[in-house]
Amino acid sequence: MAAGVAAWLPFARAAAIGWMPVASAPMPPPPREMRRGQDGLIILNVSGSKFQTWKNTLERYPDTLLGSTERDFFYHEETNEYFFDRDPDIFRHILNFYRTGKLHYPRHECISAYDEELAFFGIIPEIIGDCCYEEYKDRRRENAERIQDDEENNEANDLVLPSLSFRETMWRAFENPHTSTMALVFYYVTGFFIAVSVMANVVETVPCGYAPNRVKEMSCGDRYALAFFCLDTACVMIFTVEYLLRLIAAPSRYKFVKSVMSIIDVVAIMPYYIGLVMTDNEDVSGAFVTLRVFRVFRIFKFSRHSAGLRILGYTLKSCASELGFLLFSLTMAIIIFATVMFYAEKGSSASKFTSIPAAFWYTIVTMTTLGYGDMVPKTIMGKIFGSICSLSGVLVIALPVPVIVSNFSRIYHQSQRAEKRRAQKASKQAGQALVCKINPTFETQHHHLLHCLEKTTNHEFVDEQTYETNFMEVTMTKPPMSCSSSMSSSPHALSSCCSRRNKRKSFNVPNSNMTGGRRGSIQELSTIQIRERPLSNSRSSLNAKFEETLPLNSEEQPYITAAVISMPTPPGTTPEGGDSTSSTDFLRSNIVRVSAL
Amino acid sequence: MAIQGMELFAVAVVMLLFFIMLKQFGIWEPLGLDESFDCDLELSMVRHQPEGLDQLQAQTKFTRKELQSLYRGFKNECPSGLVDEETFKSIYSQFFPQGDATTYAHFLFNAFDMDRNGSINFEDFVIGLSVLLRGSVTEKLRWAFNLYDINKDGYITREEMLAIIKSIYDMMGSYTYPSVREYAAFEHVEIFFQKMDRNRDGLVTIDEFIETCQRDENIMSSMQLFENVI
Repeated sequence: MAAGVAAWLPFARAAAIGWMPVASAPMPPPPREMRRGQDGLIILNVSGSKFQTWKNTLERYPDTLLGSTERDFFYHEETNEYFFDRDPDIFRHILNFYRTGKLHYPRHECISAYDEELAFFGIIPEIIGDCCYEEYKDRRRENAERIQDDEENNEANDLVLPSLSFRETMWRAFENPHTSTMALVFYYVTGFFIAVSVMANVVETVPCGYAPNRVKEMSCGDRYALAFFCLDTACVMIFTVEYLLRLIAAPSRYKFVKSVMSIIDVVAIMPYYIGLVMTDNEDVSGAFVTLRVFRVFRIFKFSRHSAGLRILGYTLKSCASELGFLLFSLTMAIIIFATVMFYAEKGSSASKFTSIPAAFWYTIVTMTTLGYGDMVPKTIMGKIFGSICSLSGVLVIALPVPVIVSNFSRIYHQSQRAEKRRAQKASKQAGQALVCKINPTFETQHHHLLHCLEKTTNHEFVDEQTYETNFMEVTMTKPPMSCSSSMSSSPHALSSCCSRRNKRKSFNVPNSNMTGGRRGSIQELSTIQIRERPLSNSRSSLNAKFEETLPLNSEEQPYITAAVISMPTPPGTTPEGGDSTSSTDFLRSNIVRVSAL
Repeated sequence: MAIQGMELFAVAVVMLLFFIMLKQFGIWEPLGLDESFDCDLELSMVRHQPEGLDQLQAQTKFTRKELQSLYRGFKNECPSGLVDEETFKSIYSQFFPQGDATTYAHFLFNAFDMDRNGSINFEDFVIGLSVLLRGSVTEKLRWAFNLYDINKDGYITREEMLAIIKSIYDMMGSYTYPSVREYAAFEHVEIFFQKMDRNRDGLVTIDEFIETCQRDENIMSSMQLFENVI
C-alpha cells in the first residue's frame, strides 16, 4: 500500500538521474529535506507488554494517535516510554497495521472491544484488509442486531404508558395477548373457534350412514346440514368480528390490509358470504362448492397462535431460490426421462405411455421410488430405461439433497457475500479516502519527481478535461483558464490523495522560468482534505468555494494547497523565478504546485 | 425391435448424462493421469541472501546505518530478496499513474541488473544506488550511458536513443500540455545527437557523452540534484 510504495520513492528519485542528460529544460531544485533526525526506536508499554518499533513506522500514518504528537500525552518520563493503559492483545494488531499497512481483525476478539480500541487509537475500521473485512462487517451487523433486539424486547416488556388511546390498547391486546386478561381470553376463544371450524370442515365430509331413499352413502354434512350450517355461521361471525376489530385497531389500516394474515382472514371467511349470496343460482353453485375449499385456509389462522409456524413460513420464504433451483433440476430430469420412456415405449401395443406428459407421472413416481405400478414399461428398451430412471432417481433425489442443500447454502452465501462486498465497497472506498493521508514529505518528493519528468520532456501533466479544452483552443493567446473537474477515481493510494494541477501560466515561452509561482492548483476532492481546507491559510482569492476554480483576474496569487498543512504561511509575493536561491521560498512555492495525476 | 435413429440418439444422450452425473459426484473418474499431485507441488521459493554488511560497505559508499536502513526497506517489500522484472515494473508504474512506465522500467531494470540474471538482488540495488547517490559525476554519467546503451555494446545508436526517449514520453501519458506530437521524440533524439555526436558518425561513445555532458552547465548541476535522497 502506501507504505510499500513510499519505501521505493528514494529509488525512483535516484533513478531520475537517467533523465538528466536528455532533459530539455533545467530541473527544478529539490524540496528541502526536513531532516527528521536519526530514526530511533520507540518503546510502547501497553499495560505491561512492551512493544518496540521504529519511529518512522509509526509516523507513516500521521493522522492516528500513535503517528502524531497526540502520543506525547502518554509519554512517561520516568521510564522513557509511552504508556497506554489498554488491551495488549488487541494492540498487537494495531501495531501490525503500522508495520504492514494492513489491519486485520482477529476472530476470537469481541467486536465491541476491538471497535473501542480502534477508536481510541484513531484508526478507521474501513481500512481493514480484504481478508478480514467481511468477517468484521458480519460480526458488527450481528452485534447491532442483537442490541436492537434487546432494545425491542425491553420495550415490549415495559409497563404500559398510561397515555395509550383505546385504539392503541386494543391493537396491543391483539398483538401481544399476554398483556391483559381480556386479550388472553380473546386469544383463546378465537383459537378454539378456529379449531372447531376446521374440525367441522373435516367431519362434514365423512360418510355418515344411509339416507332413507338414497343408494349412495351420505356425508355427515348433508345429513346434518342445519347443524353444520349453524356452526359455520357462528365461526364466521366470530372471525368477521375479529377481523373488523383488528381493522379498526390497526395503526396503519392500509398496511394491515396488505399483510398476509389479513388476506388469510378474508379468504377464510369469504366463501361463506359468497355462499349466502349465491345459494339460489344453480350455475354458480358448482363453482361455489369449489370455493369452499378455501375454508381450509382457516388453519393458517393458527399461525398467529404459533410462533413455530411463522418461523417455518419465514424459512421457506428465505430458501425460495434454492428450492426453486432444486425443482428446476428435477424438472429437467423428469422431462428427459419422460421423453426417453415415451419413445422407448412408443412401439409397444396398448402402452400406457400415450404422450410425454403422460410419461411425466411415471417418471415422477419412479424417481421418487414410489412405484405405484399403474404405468409400467413393457418393451425391453423401456425396462432398461425405466431401471436407469429409478436408479438415477435415487441418486438425483435422495443422495444429493444434503449435498445440494449445503452446496447451495454455500453458493447462496457466496453470492450474498459478493453483493455485500459490492455494497460495502462503496463505504470502504469512502473510508479509505478518509484515511489515505500520506506523509506530506512523500508528497513533496513525489511531486518533485514528476516535475523533473516534465522538465525532461518539456511537456506538462494536465488533467483530462484541461486537455480537452486545450485541444479545442489551439490558437488562443491568453493563458488558458481551465477548470478542475473531478478526476477519475483511481484505485491507487497515491492518486487518490494527490490533487490535480492546474496550469495557468502563459504558454508562449517554453523555456521560461516555469517553476514556482504562477501555478494555481486546485485541490482534489478528497474528504479529509476538504476537512482540512479551512485550516490552511488562504488568500482572499481562495475564499471562494473550491469548485470555483481559477478566478480570472488574480494571476498573481498562487493558491495554497491543503496537501501540506504543516506549511502555515502562504508564499510571499509572487514567487517568480524557478531557480530561486532561497530554498524556503521555493519550498513554499513548490508546495503550491501540485502536479496533476 | 430395431432401434431407430432417434431412439439411438436418445439412448446416447441419456447415457452421456448419466455418466456426467456420476462424474459430477466424484463417483467415477474417467481414466486419466493423476495430474492432481503435480499442481500442488510448488518449487520452494527462490531466496537470496545478500553478502555481508562489511563487503557491501566496501563496495558502496553508504554508511553502515544507511545500508541497514536500505536493507530493511528492501526486505520489507521483497521478502525473498529478489525483485523480478514484473514486480519492478508494477512498483515503478505506481509513481507515474498518468502514463505507461513499463518500457522505461524495463530499461531501468536492465541497468540495475548487472549480472543480467533477470532479477535484482540487494547487491545490485545498493551498488546502483551508491553510484547514483554517492558517486562522482563521471560515475553517474557512466551509469546514464549504460542505461541508454540498451545492448551494452559501448555505443548509443539512434534507435536505442529513440527507444529511451519514447519510453520517457510514454511515462507522461496522453494528457499533457502541450500534447505530445508524433515526432516529438524524433526531434528530441535529433537534438541529443547534434549535441553529443562529435564526429557525426551516428554513434555516441562513452567519451563523447561524458565530454559533452561535462561542458553542459544544466546537466552538471542537475546531476547533483538527488544527493540527499537517502
